[in-house]
Amino acid sequence: MKKKFSFSKGYRGRTIFSIFNFIFLAIIMIAMLIPIWKVCVDSVSREVSSTDISLWPQVFTLEAYKIIFTKKALFNPFWVSIYTTAIGTFLGLLISTIGAYILIQRDMPGVKIFSWLFMFTMIFNGGLVPTFLVIVGLGLYDTVWAVIFTLGMNVYNLVLMRSFFEQLPVSLFEAAEIDGCSPFGIFIKIVLPLSKPALASIGLFFAVAYWSEYFHYVLYVTDPDKLNFQVKLRELVLTDEPIPEAKDAGLMSETMKNAAIIVNILPFAIIYPFCQKYFVTGVTLGAVKE
Amino acid sequence: MASTTKSVRPTEQLGRLQSKNKKRGIGGRIKRYANFYVMFIPVLVILFLFYYLPMYGIKYAFTEFTPFGEATWIGLDNFTKLFEAQRFWNAFNNTLFLSIINLVLSMVFSVGIALLMNEIGRLFIKKVVQTVIYLPHFLSWVVVAGIFTIILSQETGVVNLILEKMGFDRIDFLTNEGWWRSIFFFINRWKETGWGTIIFIAALSGISPDLYEAAEIDGAGRLKQTWYITIPSLMNTILVVFILNLAKIMNIFESVFVLYNASVYNVADVIQTYTYRVGMQGTFNYGYSTAVGLFKSVVALVLVGFSNIMSSKVTGKGIV
Repeated sequence: MKKKFSFSKGYRGRTIFSIFNFIFLAIIMIAMLIPIWKVCVDSVSREVSSTDISLWPQVFTLEAYKIIFTKKALFNPFWVSIYTTAIGTFLGLLISTIGAYILIQRDMPGVKIFSWLFMFTMIFNGGLVPTFLVIVGLGLYDTVWAVIFTLGMNVYNLVLMRSFFEQLPVSLFEAAEIDGCSPFGIFIKIVLPLSKPALASIGLFFAVAYWSEYFHYVLYVTDPDKLNFQVKLRELVLTDEPIPEAKDAGLMSETMKNAAIIVNILPFAIIYPFCQKYFVTGVTLGAVKE
Repeated sequence: MASTTKSVRPTEQLGRLQSKNKKRGIGGRIKRYANFYVMFIPVLVILFLFYYLPMYGIKYAFTEFTPFGEATWIGLDNFTKLFEAQRFWNAFNNTLFLSIINLVLSMVFSVGIALLMNEIGRLFIKKVVQTVIYLPHFLSWVVVAGIFTIILSQETGVVNLILEKMGFDRIDFLTNEGWWRSIFFFINRWKETGWGTIIFIAALSGISPDLYEAAEIDGAGRLKQTWYITIPSLMNTILVVFILNLAKIMNIFESVFVLYNASVYNVADVIQTYTYRVGMQGTFNYGYSTAVGLFKSVVALVLVGFSNIMSSKVTGKGIV
């Protein structure tokens, strides 16, 4: 493949293509970023103009962010998001790693049945109301545990983890067994340390899923103290009335809405550049299986 | 780790261990794996409680059941009611329409952009493009809906501001039946196109450079190389991704749930949102909602079966 960038005869067509290709992709990138940028700008503007298109704040203020992090009604949902994400990611990884580790034991009686039990849930489930009634029956209604448990058991992630474990050399496990290592010891001392990229990747998938969860909170939780930031954000965005917290500080509701969106994106935006490769690992890992 | 550095002995032991395992009967094997079963119990309990126990609740599909009374058996009445309900067919058709168009658009855009990204020579630029276009995938649907609700808002949205400056009327995009679907497809592409390219970029990097070299020697230009080598090599991946997503077309939910509203039910309501509304809002008709959910599950199951057959034909492997 020619990489030479030049307008001399043999390369002209290729170079012109490269330029247009780059311009096209740049437009795509701008289209991806401009909505986020606009929200960002409006979140720090005291006045969100309704007559001018501004891509830069006119009067800069961080007031909206200060309100979100100081008013309990706004900060509490943020805190719920944080702790459910932390607990959920841990639980999700625990279930996926143990489940995947069992499923790679080829000699173990019953493994085929277990594997089938997992797979079947991917193609058939009880549905909305029956699941809801089970949650109520278990006494989990109106607790964050309803959300944590339903998202923690993710068969797709479990299968991804299994694909990763299957790439580990079997001889390692067997050698460890000869040295007198228990199954749990092998799991802790060999499987987990060797699976750090998969743990990072699948852990991030879980974290994003818990952080982004909205519907299960709407479904299972009514206590406002247990609702997460997504639910709060939705409520803020949809309201046509002036937001009281913003009004008190002399801010426009628009500024408040935009700031809430940015706060919602922020934790992820900070880690994203460092973790991008793990997300891609996760997807291509799934592709191998397919 | 250590075993690779040791001499032949561990391997011999390994062989002995394996043959010993083979000789063990089922009882011996269960005993050998006893610890594994103990480890597995919590996982199995969670699986059972949250996935298998609800399946028992499917029986409510055949009952008249609301939170205000006991369930009474009514046989197939819910299903006859369902097949006569205009709202149900509306939701069913919308599910198919929105999912399939969305799937086709996603394939076209993701493959197209993957091909263009593959032509970028400089690794750094490629990385920057990837980082940027994957980003919207990680925003939650609530955030995405929030961003676009603000941008498209009739009074304060920037899009309407531009329209007004250009001399058009202001449009309330998200409550307008004529606009809602286009907006929905656009937002879906905005969020997921970049992420969709990953699998195709991986497939593109797997194409042997020898093929291109040979084509070049034969005098094929870049365009011909793309047409005769790149696209045919991608065809398998395209088909597999298409088939896998075809199996999921009934699952469309959250994207609609956060973007739709009562004024666009005719064009936006899908099976899952319908199930939610009849079961969890208004009359809380648990029985009827379960019936709708069961119908959806059965159609989804048929689709998975169909995809599985297709996948076996294309790749020689099933999807489940």
